[in-house]
Amino acid sequence: MAMTAVARETVFALRRQIAKIEGTLPERLQAPVAATPDAGVSPNTDLTIIRRGIAAALPDTFLPTGVERLDTALSGGLPKAALSEIHGTETRDAGAVAGFALSLASLILKQTQGLPVLWIGTSEIFREAGFPYARGLHASFGIEPEQLLFSEAPRLVDALWIAEEAAKMTALAAVILEIRGNPQRLDLTATRRLHARAQSAGRPVFLLRQAAGPEPTAAPVRLIVASAPAVPRHTIAGPLAGSIGRPAFTITIGKSRTALPGQFTLEWNPDERAFDERWGDERWGEERRGEERAKNPVPVVSLSGSGKDPAAASGAVLAFPAVGSLAAGDQPSPWERAAHLSPRRAG
Amino acid sequence: MISHRRGNAQRISALDERAEALHLKRDMGIADARAMHPTIDIVEADPQADRRLLEGLADWCDRYTPLVALDATDGLFLDVTGCTHLFGGERAMLDDILSRFFHQGFDVRAGLAATPGAAWAAARFSGDRIVAGGEEEALLAPLPLAALRIEPATRTSLESVGLRTAGAVMAAPRAPLARRFGASLLLRLDQALGRLDEAVSPRLPVAPLSVERHLSEPVTLTEDIERLVGMLAAALKTDLERRGEGARTLALLLFRVDGAVSRIAIGTSRPMREPQLIQKLFHERLAALEQDIDAGYGFDLVRLSVLTAAAFDMQQADLAGEVTDDGADIALFADRIRARLGEGAVLQPVTVESHLPERAVATIPFTAAPRRTTPPKKPDRLQAPMTIFPPERPIRLFRSPEPIEVPATEMPEGPPLNFRWRRALYRVMRAEGPERIAAEWWREAASDEAASTRDYYRIEDADGRRYWLYRQGLYGGTQVPPRWFMHGVFA
Repeated sequence: MAMTAVARETVFALRRQIAKIEGTLPERLQAPVAATPDAGVSPNTDLTIIRRGIAAALPDTFLPTGVERLDTALSGGLPKAALSEIHGTETRDAGAVAGFALSLASLILKQTQGLPVLWIGTSEIFREAGFPYARGLHASFGIEPEQLLFSEAPRLVDALWIAEEAAKMTALAAVILEIRGNPQRLDLTATRRLHARAQSAGRPVFLLRQAAGPEPTAAPVRLIVASAPAVPRHTIAGPLAGSIGRPAFTITIGKSRTALPGQFTLEWNPDERAFDERWGDERWGEERRGEERAKNPVPVVSLSGSGKDPAAASGAVLAFPAVGSLAAGDQPSPWERAAHLSPRRAG
Repeated sequence: MISHRRGNAQRISALDERAEALHLKRDMGIADARAMHPTIDIVEADPQADRRLLEGLADWCDRYTPLVALDATDGLFLDVTGCTHLFGGERAMLDDILSRFFHQGFDVRAGLAATPGAAWAAARFSGDRIVAGGEEEALLAPLPLAALRIEPATRTSLESVGLRTAGAVMAAPRAPLARRFGASLLLRLDQALGRLDEAVSPRLPVAPLSVERHLSEPVTLTEDIERLVGMLAAALKTDLERRGEGARTLALLLFRVDGAVSRIAIGTSRPMREPQLIQKLFHERLAALEQDIDAGYGFDLVRLSVLTAAAFDMQQADLAGEVTDDGADIALFADRIRARLGEGAVLQPVTVESHLPERAVATIPFTAAPRRTTPPKKPDRLQAPMTIFPPERPIRLFRSPEPIEVPATEMPEGPPLNFRWRRALYRVMRAEGPERIAAEWWREAASDEAASTRDYYRIEDADGRRYWLYRQGLYGGTQVPPRWFMHGVFA
C-alpha cells in the first residue's frame, strides 16, 4: 500500500514536471475531475495539486484577472511564470495594449509589493506610440514612479538582449517588452528563449506587439487587445452625459492551450485596481440610449471666453434642421431635390 | 620637412637629417629654402595631430608610472619615483624606454635626474644621461643658458652681460641677479639644483588603486582579457577591503605591443568589490566594444585601476546565510545594461513639480536616481488637500506633440468634431475638457502669454480609442491662429 502511494506520488511529481515544461496541465492527465469550474481554491485534496476545471495546477501558477468568464476560459488566468503575448492590430491601439498590460502589472504589484516593473521598448515604438508617462500610470494603475524602470534600446537585438537578461531576474515583478510589427528576429526561437527564462525565474514577461499579425510563438497565451468605448462617468445623479469613464478593453483570445477562442469586454477600475466585465454592448447601449440624454445637463464644454451667449451643451447640436416637410408630402421640396434632377439652365 | 606660419612668413618648424645635411635650419623662411633647394618636400604643420601623438605616447608611458605630464609640445615628464626597481633599476628602465621607443620608430632623447629641471637639461643637452642626486651642479655647469628653461629675453640679456653658461650664472652673486633678471631665473636655477621642489602635474588623475600584469606572451582574445580582469579584480579586492571601500568607476588599460593604449571605463551604481561582478561588467563592455578594440599583435600589459571609490557598506547576512539586499540585483542588472548600451539605457521616472505635462516627469539614468531607503510616506492629513477629481493624465506621452489637422470644431473654443492625425481621419464621439494649462511664467518669460496657453481635451474616437489633444493659443487673442496637437494616449 505504501509502495503504491509512493509510486503514485512519483507519477504525479513526474506529471507535474511535464506540465511545467509544457506550461499547462492538459486534460490528458487522468486526474479525477472533482471540482466544478468555480469551485476555486479548495485545499481538500491530499496532493499539492489543486484541480480547477479541466486543468490542474499549483495554486500560485496563474494570475487571475478577476473576471470569471475570462479566467475560466483561460483555466485560471494568465500563467504567472511564462511569456504572454498581448497583440494590438494597429499602432494606434498602443494605448489600449499598454493599458491592458499595465493593469495586469498592477494586479501583480498588488500581490508582490516593492518590486519594480521593467518596461523595455525599442526607440521606434517609443517614438511611434509615445513614451510611458509616469503620472498617468500612477493615476490609472496605481504604479508608483519608483516602481518603474524603463529601458530604451536603439535596436531590436539590444531590446531582446535586455529582455532576456531581465526575464532571468527574480528581483523584478514583471517585464514588459514592447515591439512593433513582425520583425524576423522575433521568431519562435526568440520567444522560446524568453519563455524558458520566465519559467525558470517564475516571473511574467508580457510581450506587447503593436501592429503585429499572429505568428508562431512559444507563449502559451496570446491575447488581442483593442479599445472599447468607455461608459459615461457615474455620478450621484446618474451617468454624466458625454463624459468618458473608466478605460475599457476588448480582449480576444488568440491562442490558448486550454480555451476556445472568445471575446470579452473588460473595464478597468483604477480605484479598486481590478477588472470588471461588461456584458456585451447591448446592455450598455440601452443604458446609453436611456440615460445619455442627460438629466443633469452639465455643460462639459466651457463657456466661451468673451462672448455673452452661453454655450449649449454638447450633443444637442444637430447636423441639419429637423425636416418637417418630408412628413407633409412624399415629394421632396425643390431645394432638397438632387442637383442632377433639377432643370438645367440653358447657357 | 615641416613648415608653419609665423608672423607673415612660412618658416621651417622641423626638419629631418637629410634636410639638415642640405644646410637648412629651423626658422628659415620657406621661400629661402626653396630657392636653395627647389626639390625639397614641404608639409604643413598640424599642431593638433602632434598633440594627439604626444598624448598617445603619454598614455603608453603610463606603463612605467602613473605620473606622466606633458612638457610643452615635444616632451614628456615621467615621475618614476619608486617605480625604477620594478624595471630593474634606473639604467635598465631608461634602456627599456629608449629601446621600446626606438622600435616604435621614434627618435627619443631621455635623461634621468633627481629634479625635473636637471632631467630636462640632461635629456636635451647631454643625452641619455643618468644624473645621480647631488651631481646636478656638475651637470649644469658646462651647459648653455637654454638648459635652464628660462625666457629667451632673459637669456639674451644674460648673454649680453657675458654670462654664457649655466655655471657662470651659478657663480654670480644671487642678489644682483634677482634684482636685474627677476625671480624666475633664480627659481628655475633652484629647481634644477634641487633646492626648491618642483611638482610635475600629471596629465590624468592618478588612480587611488591599480593592479597590472605584464605578459610575456601578448594576449589577443577577449576571453583571455576577461579572465585577466577577473584575476586583477581579485587582487584589487583585498586592497579595497583593507580600505573599507568599493569601486564606483573602474578603468581597464590595455597596452598593445605596438604602443597603442585602449582605455575602457565602466561605472557602477553601487560600490563594488566582488571580482566576479567586475568581470561580468567588463564582459558586457568588451562585448559592446568588440568592433572598436583592435587587438592587433596583442596586449602585453593589462592594468585595472579604481578611478573613484566609495565607502562600502557591509551587508550582514541573516541566520540562514541569505543577504537580504533588495536592490543589489537590480543595481547589478542596470550596471550590466549600462556597460553594454551606454549611460541612458536604464531609466527611472522622477516626478517634478510642474503643471506642464512634459515637464512633470523627468526620466533620469538609473544610477543617478535617488535610492529609496524608506518606504514611501503616506500622505499626511495636514498636507494640502488634493483635488477631489485629480486631472486625468494619459499613460503614454509623445516626446514632441504631433500637429494634427482640425477642420472644424463644434464651437470656436470647443473640442474638434474630427481631426486628421498621421494621415488618418478620426471622428470625435465624445470629448471632455478643456483643461487649461498656461505657460509657466516663473520659469521662462513667455514671448506671448496667450499664444502658449494650452487647452487640453480628452477625446474618444469612433473605435473607442482615447486621446489627449490640445489647442495651443486662443482665438482672437493673437495674430497666430490656434494650432492643434496630439499629446498623449489614454488606456
